[in-house]
Amino acid sequence: MRALPVSYAQLAKGDVLLEVKNVSLSFGGVKAIQDVSFDIRKGEVRAIIGPNGAGKTSMLNVINGFYHPQQGTITFKGMVRPKMKPYEAASGGIARTFQNVALFKGMTTLDNIMAGRSLRMTKGLFWQLFRYGPAMTEEIEHRKRVEEIIDFLEIQAIRRTPVGKLPYGLQKRVELGRALAMEPELLLLDEPMAGMNLEEKEDMCRFILDVREQFGTTIALIEHDMGVVMDLSDRVVVLDYGCKIADGTPDEVKQDQGVIDAYLGVPH
Amino acid sequence: MSDVAVANKPAITEGQRAGLLVGLGLAAFIVLLTALTQFGAIHRGNLIYDVFVDPFVAMWTGPDLLTQVVWEGLVGGVLYALIALGFVLIFKASGVFNFAQGIMVVFAALSLVGLYEIMTVRLGLPAGTTVAFVALVGALVVMFVLAFLVERVVLRPLVNQHDIIMLMATVGLTYFLIGFGEYVFGGSPKVMITQQLGLPTGSTTFEIFGGRVNIQHLDVAAAIIATIMIVVLAAFFQYTRIGRALRAVADSHKAALSVGISLNQIWVIVWFAAGIVALVTGIMWGARSDVSFALEIIALKALPVLILGGFTSVPGAIIGGLIIGVLEKLGDFYWGPLLGNGIENWLAYVIALVFLLFRPQGLFGEKIIERV
Amino acid sequence: MADADMAAPGKLDTFPKLLLENARIRGQRTAMRWKDLGIWQTWSWADVLDEIRAFSIGLKLLGLQHGNKVAIIGANRPRLYWAMPAAQALGAVPVPVYADSVADEMAYVLEHAEVTIAVVQDQEQVDKVLSIADRLHSLTHVIYDDPSGLRDYAHSKLHSFVEVQRRGREHAAADPKVERYWLEDVARGSGADLAVILYTSGTTGRPKGVMLSNDNVIISARNGNVFDNLTDAEETIAYLPLAWVGDFMFSIAQSYTAGFCVNCPESAATVVEDRREIGTTYAFAPPRVYENLLTLTMVRMEDASALKRRMFRYFLDVAKQWGEKILNREPVPLSAHLLYGLGEILVYGPLKSRFGLSKVRVGYTAGEAIGPEIFRFYRSLGINLKQLYGQTEASVYITAQPDAEIHADTVGKPNIDVQIRIDDNGEVQFKSPGVFQGYYKDAEKTAETKTPDGWVRTGDAGFFDTKTGHLRIIDRAKDVGKLRSGALFAPKYIENKLKFYPNIKEAVAFGQGKDYVSVMLNIDLTAVGSWAERNNVVYGSYQELAGHPQVYEMVAKHVDEVNRSLAEEPMMAAAQIKRFLILHKELDADDGELTRTQKVRRGFIADRYAPLATALYDGSSSADISTEVTFEDGRKGVIKAHVAIRDMETYPVTAEVFREAAE
Repeated sequence: MRALPVSYAQLAKGDVLLEVKNVSLSFGGVKAIQDVSFDIRKGEVRAIIGPNGAGKTSMLNVINGFYHPQQGTITFKGMVRPKMKPYEAASGGIARTFQNVALFKGMTTLDNIMAGRSLRMTKGLFWQLFRYGPAMTEEIEHRKRVEEIIDFLEIQAIRRTPVGKLPYGLQKRVELGRALAMEPELLLLDEPMAGMNLEEKEDMCRFILDVREQFGTTIALIEHDMGVVMDLSDRVVVLDYGCKIADGTPDEVKQDQGVIDAYLGVPH
Repeated sequence: MSDVAVANKPAITEGQRAGLLVGLGLAAFIVLLTALTQFGAIHRGNLIYDVFVDPFVAMWTGPDLLTQVVWEGLVGGVLYALIALGFVLIFKASGVFNFAQGIMVVFAALSLVGLYEIMTVRLGLPAGTTVAFVALVGALVVMFVLAFLVERVVLRPLVNQHDIIMLMATVGLTYFLIGFGEYVFGGSPKVMITQQLGLPTGSTTFEIFGGRVNIQHLDVAAAIIATIMIVVLAAFFQYTRIGRALRAVADSHKAALSVGISLNQIWVIVWFAAGIVALVTGIMWGARSDVSFALEIIALKALPVLILGGFTSVPGAIIGGLIIGVLEKLGDFYWGPLLGNGIENWLAYVIALVFLLFRPQGLFGEKIIERV
Repeated sequence: MADADMAAPGKLDTFPKLLLENARIRGQRTAMRWKDLGIWQTWSWADVLDEIRAFSIGLKLLGLQHGNKVAIIGANRPRLYWAMPAAQALGAVPVPVYADSVADEMAYVLEHAEVTIAVVQDQEQVDKVLSIADRLHSLTHVIYDDPSGLRDYAHSKLHSFVEVQRRGREHAAADPKVERYWLEDVARGSGADLAVILYTSGTTGRPKGVMLSNDNVIISARNGNVFDNLTDAEETIAYLPLAWVGDFMFSIAQSYTAGFCVNCPESAATVVEDRREIGTTYAFAPPRVYENLLTLTMVRMEDASALKRRMFRYFLDVAKQWGEKILNREPVPLSAHLLYGLGEILVYGPLKSRFGLSKVRVGYTAGEAIGPEIFRFYRSLGINLKQLYGQTEASVYITAQPDAEIHADTVGKPNIDVQIRIDDNGEVQFKSPGVFQGYYKDAEKTAETKTPDGWVRTGDAGFFDTKTGHLRIIDRAKDVGKLRSGALFAPKYIENKLKFYPNIKEAVAFGQGKDYVSVMLNIDLTAVGSWAERNNVVYGSYQELAGHPQVYEMVAKHVDEVNRSLAEEPMMAAAQIKRFLILHKELDADDGELTRTQKVRRGFIADRYAPLATALYDGSSSADISTEVTFEDGRKGVIKAHVAIRDMETYPVTAEVFREAAE
């Protein structure tokens, strides 16, 4: 019962890729998520929205194995998932970015994105030490993929720059690049546009849509900018105080009285 | 002609001003001392003369001796640097201050010598290079097993605990290793299998500055091997996938986890790497004296080295080690007699303390800048 | 008849013919490089011929005919460069278009030029062209270079570059006659045929299409090669807009005539690094590029350690004193040579390497006047930077500075075969083999610019320096004005002085017919932002930083220095800056405030910021302004601000005697 079987039957577009069922999570006495269920279908952009403290980030942390819910199940690619470690979720095909950017600050852009390919590099330590033979071939092959991502995200100019020195907007882009390098099936983005200016937001929107277009990646994202959510996402799930209060297309959700109340702060 | 004025900044900053003042003060002090000496106001026997003038006169008049002392300091410094390097590796990758690093040096050396003894004495294998190298491989295996067990038994269950708890765990590990080592290999001091490992023993004397400088071949070998090891480690960190993963973990645990790097695996590798460094250090040090748990005291010298170099900087560990090594030897040789010898035991700590006052982040540590 | 032409070594008077010749005599020599996915891809002249021929035959299959126009839209990519000779081989005329123009601007050019085929770089340009396709009646095909993002575009007009080439190759392989016909097409071309139509952005009005013949461009290029001894060993980097005449001259015409290699950078942002990797020997850039490099360096030095900074300053002073003299081969004392040599090792060498200019043998700044201080800075480092005065209408070259005859305030001597005269109003006029054929479909404008006897009006005011015989340009003829007092007012002169300061990115000077001179300034976000960080100045936006009192304080010091320096020049002393303000937004080509070549449009700015322009002269200490801005996606928004105005002190003219003594 370790990592998920890799060669699970290929899912078609629109099939349920991940299902969250009756999940509850609490820290001590604080309930972060209460009995939430929803699904993510292959190939869609799924937004998770809600006011601050609604449990959105906790939800992502549950999905990628940082937290283990006390109750409920998570079914990924048709398999009910056991308690798993983050790196097992990663090898199962789930990549993510973080709200406040979690990059390897001392490393270059190139190394950061290369690190995203850790799981796919398997050649032995011995060859690696000499940078020779299979390890070299492997390194070149992966470097090529990484260069394609660098090209895709238009960050050639910062290839050799330590990411700690980059402006915030570019750091977010590098972080997306690192997640893409994992060639994930499910990409979790925690507020990908936070702290960006208009131009950077537009670029990021374009990248997200292109990712889905070009790689067929399923995307789940948390976002506060409602304009972005409405433009990008196919379906939206709304959380408030750890509970799901709405689920549907952007238009449906926009009309929902519960959602309007939650955002306007009507007392419960 | 229009003028080219680029920036209007104060000529010097606060820090520069302080540096300048210290420098000027020092220069004035030197001039004063020189004058006092010249006019015969102070002379041998006078405390000021003995502390501030005589040692420098001795250095100036006996460059051969000075060279000898600096060389020995450098060799000692290399060994300090290696121990500090082991600390830094583990601290960077897991945030654990490994109190046991010093004892790992002894334990590694003991394993090597002990295994050799077992093979030659108890199993009756012919003593010599072959068996010595088999023992070396055996010692490496021991260090790997140690790394594996530490990760399983100590780190994994304690993950996410307070730093102080991790530190206490390594203190526990220290005493476990001492007890276990004594139980398996016996408590009596052992002799390092220097020659069997093919390390040179003789010495060469050079004639320079009208005097003689004696250099032990073993010391030269130690310096070379240490350099090679540091270069290999640096290359490993910089150019391999696992090296990249190690740097990644050192930068951000959270991010490393999210890209599928297994912390547990990284910890084993780091502790093993620290174990290899310990083994090499143990061999070098053991060859200069003998192998016993008394070496542990010397291992604690890594602490001032770390203060000097910063806890997270590999170059810092190396430079710090060399500085402490040289200053310690200079102090011992030129000022030691004044203070009744034994100065070598505590001088390093004093240097570190003084240094701490001026640059708390260490030589190469990142200066902490609060951004608005 | 075609066969007879083929047999004789034809005249090398068109680009396709030059291409065939280069492939024949230096076929294995590198003609082009492009950094893609982090690696330099290389093409020899023989490879380039193969690529161009295949594409050209493919274009013929798409129906391209003699006299058709082919638009080239995108960044500096090998395939876009190849598309030009490929079109010329069939007698068609390439029309390079500024890739960053918004859809509306682009529509005008494509429509006016009656473009039939557009060769574009990528999805962005495809989208733009398709969005205006209904206005372009003659457009039949769009060919794109980079396929990413275009997989799902189903459009009958759309083809990939590779696909067009593949069809061309298959066609040629199936029938050996195809290649011969193609060679005959090439042979039919002549020097009198149009080589290119270049639309100049101009400071006012709609762009005009400058028609240049093969003879115009090729003869000018050859003269330029002779002037600077350019050989096929040069390396250049192509990073300026394809639609700029300079790029057509330097990256195509001179490369084809001299046979040297042109390198395409990975992206606009990597140019400096790419230039360093290649080690270019022949460089050209508008002053802005040199200004930016200098600003970046100064900013970086501010963050460097004290020791480094001191060393840097010291050796820059040494360079300022001796560098130019050494470069001009003037006699200097041995100690200066030694000191300069040390500086070369410690400062100049590393600096030049950082700029990617270590190997530069000939470097030009063109397109606009460069600030003398910036110019001297580069020359003092030992970089053979020279000024060139040129125009699209002249096929670039009018005057250039010969090696070792450099004076920062002149633009050099007439190029080979160029004649120059100055008319009564001080306007510079020229006559040369490069004189353009006319503006496309605009006989009226052509007649305004070209005199009946074949001279071209440059629109610039200037005079020949009596001492050196070099041409000296003051400003645009129509921009050089007078204050109400009648004193000379040369706005660009003042602006360049201000722009020398790294903190000042852009300056717009006013004063025509007024009592005094006033300026609007743009701060440089990189430089001032870094300054703010060092000085704990907190700001949330560009606007806030621009209006910060401390920033005003700092900028006022710069303006004061400029006034002092103006006071030293009797001709300019009356034009000292009385009042200035810092604009709340960056001047932007998208808002029409700058031209596409980044020149300020003074009149437009005066209109757009009318309340500010008024306030500069009515004595008020601040003014409100709200401006409409266009975002990249075409949406519009409004920026409001309250802008402060500062009064400055002016200085009496420094005595002439004193000035001479100082020199």
